[in-house]
Amino acid sequence: MTEVTHDTETHIVDAHEQEHYDEKFSFVGRTFNVPTYTGVFALLGGLTVIEVLLSRLEHSSIITIIMLALAVFKAGLVVWFYMHLNKDNRIFLATLLIPVVLVILAVLFLSIVPVGGYS
Amino acid sequence: MSEMSIESAKTPAEAPAPSVVTHKDAPVHGHDNMHIAERAENLKFATWLYLASEVVIFASMIGVFIVFRIQHPEIVFKVHETTNILLVTLNTFLLLTSSWAMVMGLREIRVNNPKGLIRWFGLMCILGTIFVGLQYVEYQELAHHGIALFNQGNEYDGFGMRFYAPTAFHGAHVIIGVLWGLFVINNTRKGNYDSKNYAGIEVFGLYWHFVDVVWVILFTMLYLV
Repeated sequence: MTEVTHDTETHIVDAHEQEHYDEKFSFVGRTFNVPTYTGVFALLGGLTVIEVLLSRLEHSSIITIIMLALAVFKAGLVVWFYMHLNKDNRIFLATLLIPVVLVILAVLFLSIVPVGGYS
Repeated sequence: MSEMSIESAKTPAEAPAPSVVTHKDAPVHGHDNMHIAERAENLKFATWLYLASEVVIFASMIGVFIVFRIQHPEIVFKVHETTNILLVTLNTFLLLTSSWAMVMGLREIRVNNPKGLIRWFGLMCILGTIFVGLQYVEYQELAHHGIALFNQGNEYDGFGMRFYAPTAFHGAHVIIGVLWGLFVINNTRKGNYDSKNYAGIEVFGLYWHFVDVVWVILFTMLYLV
């Protein structure tokens, strides 16, 4: 147990929680001098700006794919870091992925149906 | 530890006058820690299962929009020309910031700082409220451009319901999230959470971040692509 001071008040916390509190953001092998949550927030903000700028360009398949990939990556960052899937039980990940995969398959199946029918 | 076992641990000579010892007041020992951790895991798993059902609902709505987008790209592009992308981007940043405030609040309660949690959650609730307000402004603008729920026969034919259904459903989730946030703040003020007992906050966090994840996807699918 250690004593830490927040807002001029002293709280007793255990070493593990304090270590978690002081954790720094690591991304692609580099560690930045900001808390993990703040680093993720900055990354999410930066990626959002890039997405909006890309959307201003001429529409093309490649830009669409990049924007979709960025959106999935951003969602992944929130799930991984903010929803703590990086530390929690992986069975939670399955509860999220199974319905996502099912709906993707359903959409793919729907998209092969012609607008005006087959005749 | 139960009331009886606390009392029986002391000799009769040093036993205090009979008083009511609630579970919350009892000292936390190894067994209680295990019970709290187990309860927290169960709560989180139940929340994830609930979120899985939400995934199906939102993904179905997004799926319907994707099919429409594939079949009628010209209508979607026309709507994009009328959309106030700055307003929607600002709203996206509000929600991302609220998610950040959420985890920063959780970080504070983990080191036994309820005041810090209340401050961060207060910010989160304010941002969520502004998000809903700006969404209302956005709906007003779209309605002025003639994009309504049902656009039979005009240039936006079929778009309205496919756009308003997922965004309004998401907005309803934000409203519920703000109310839940206020409830958590109130519970924190009463001293119901500390560094050993914050499963209720984690569960709320999962919900709020899920709402954020859905918006990240909706923002790209509905407004950008």
